[in-house]
Amino acid sequence: MSAAAATTDRVIGYSRAINEALAEEMRRDERVWMMGQDIGRLGGVFGLTRGLLDEFGPMRVRDTAINETFIVGGAAGAALAGTIPVVELQFADFLFTAADEIFHKLAKWRYMHGGQFTMPVVVRLPTGVVGGAGAEHSQSLETIAMHVAGLKVAVPATPSDAKGLLKAAIRDPDPVLFFEHKGLYRVKGPVPESDEHVVPFGSARIARPGSDLTVVATGLMVDRALAAAEQLAPQGIDVEVIDPRTLVPLDIDTIVSSVERTHRLMVVHEASRTAGFGAEIAAQVHERAFFALDAPVWRVCGTDTPLPQDPDLEQACIPSTDEIVTAALALAAI
Amino acid sequence: MNSPGPTAEQVQLEVYRKVVTIRFAELRIREHVEKEGFGGFWHPGIGQEGLQVGAVSAMQPDDYLYYAHRGLGYAFAKGMELEPLFGDLLGRRTGSTGGKGGGTVHFADASRHVMGQGGTLGSSFVMGAGTAAASQLLGDGRVTVVFFGDGASGRGTWHEAALQASVWKLPVVWICENNGWALSARFTEQSPTEHVADRAPAYGIPGVVVDGQDAMAVREVTLEAIERARRGEGPTLIEAKTLRIRGHYEGDRQPYRDDPVLGDEIPNDPVHRLGEGIADDVRRGIDAEARALVDRAFDAALAAPRADDSVIFEDVWA
Ligand SMILES: Cc1ncc(C[n+]2csc(CCOP(=O)(O)OP(=O)(O)O)c2C)c(N)n1
Ligand SMILES: [Mg+2]
Repeated sequence: MSAAAATTDRVIGYSRAINEALAEEMRRDERVWMMGQDIGRLGGVFGLTRGLLDEFGPMRVRDTAINETFIVGGAAGAALAGTIPVVELQFADFLFTAADEIFHKLAKWRYMHGGQFTMPVVVRLPTGVVGGAGAEHSQSLETIAMHVAGLKVAVPATPSDAKGLLKAAIRDPDPVLFFEHKGLYRVKGPVPESDEHVVPFGSARIARPGSDLTVVATGLMVDRALAAAEQLAPQGIDVEVIDPRTLVPLDIDTIVSSVERTHRLMVVHEASRTAGFGAEIAAQVHERAFFALDAPVWRVCGTDTPLPQDPDLEQACIPSTDEIVTAALALAAI
Repeated sequence: MNSPGPTAEQVQLEVYRKVVTIRFAELRIREHVEKEGFGGFWHPGIGQEGLQVGAVSAMQPDDYLYYAHRGLGYAFAKGMELEPLFGDLLGRRTGSTGGKGGGTVHFADASRHVMGQGGTLGSSFVMGAGTAAASQLLGDGRVTVVFFGDGASGRGTWHEAALQASVWKLPVVWICENNGWALSARFTEQSPTEHVADRAPAYGIPGVVVDGQDAMAVREVTLEAIERARRGEGPTLIEAKTLRIRGHYEGDRQPYRDDPVLGDEIPNDPVHRLGEGIADDVRRGIDAEARALVDRAFDAALAAPRADDSVIFEDVWA
């Protein structure tokens, strides 16, 4: 969005932005409908679908039983028959409960059948650590989604991107896993008024321009990277923060051209370190910009452990602003 | 529907023609697999053609079909040509999937609402229910028919799909081909009840057992279930009792089998049962045509180019 448009934006919450995207797309296209647990009468466990049952009725906003394989597999079948299902799993972790439906049916049906079908399904996945939800309600699983071909993966970090990416996801003919960070639901930010605020997939956002070090971060980590950058600026380190916004497709060009200017790269993610998307970005940057690098690519990531239930302990498992600052100082000194 | 349809004799002739065509297809494929080897697993459906064709004959052209892995009867009965089906089987560019669904076939025909097949058994329970949910939402009057085996009936997806489809009264019909075996697992050892259909009452839906060797009887119960679904009264579970004549795949020597390995003998052969009411000369004419159709299509598929590397990157994204 242009800077001029941004000045006329309203300030709304990330949750509200998602709710608006759902409502606007359902108004725009009658084929769009939703199902999930407690999304109707309750308006969703996190309140994201509030008001939609009243506006669109029980045929288009459907409360299901506790049946993740039906929610996702049913969405796949409904997409093949000319509708656009937008379904909610209560926690991103439950994608394992519907793994066959996500990684096989959504991801491969079109391919296996020679391109005869499209699979316009959006699976909304409340993700990440917040408030001590425990090891099976807190994970960041976006890398797993990235590893299986056939799925697009969105990881919005701001209200504006939450709305714009969700609208793009609903309009996309391919299946999209939409990871909404639970820790961001209450965060407010400027969002354009327009019904046509659509953020294209595969376009990274430079959240903060800088010249000394590139930090790639997603979701909750974007704000922490920005806070770290503010602390680092007085110390003479000018950090560029890049939010890829979607991991599939990944806008590696924006990252590479940033590294060609800053010569240093750090990837920050909440997901576990091993084989996380940081490893993929590091590998791609080494392949494409090895001679631009003045230092190794570093990763600041979640621990390679399950997440403990205790709210303080779980925070200790994911990167903090302080950790990002410390790592950036060390990397800049190499 | 309301238009004066074909007579009972015409229907039976057409079912016979399709069943016997698939029988010849089965034999031709077996011959090929035995002689040439095969880059996948062919799951012969010989002996089960009658129930497949009989059930699909009860569908309207716009109704949606999720077939199972045992043979070609379902898709052929839904109107697909043989050549693209054989093309899929043989990994040919001319297959309905352009060479992607080769081996253990994943054919599809979006225009005829042949919706494809997953490689994981039981995924079509939930997908079929979802397709039916789309029909309910759009009010398009279509019914979804899902075939599955007695073995697949063990999947948890059955429970999730059946419960939701019944609660929402979705227009879906499930047809279990109970052939007594799931690879090496005997149905009687894996089911606490005599019939798969015994599970239907738990979901508040009708469960119907029918003789799967009697194509016209299968057609009748399917017609009834489809009409019920179309009226908005919800799903039905039909169980067609049949027999797995051959191995799980062609070439399976079935060391585990403790009932007689049947080989070529087809008890209660649906082809013979359908043929009984048809005059000999008429039947011979249909048979000759069917055999010629199969040979032409198979030869054409064999002659078609194999899918090459160029298909690998096709169709990942829309
Ligand atoms: C989820 C899943 N589990 C196991 C398999 C392997 N498998 C393929 S066919 C088969 C037996 C199926 O038996 P049944 O459903 O009775 O069908 P039939 O082969 O008798 O027609 C098995 C175990 C599979 N494809 N998918
Ligand atoms: Mg079986």
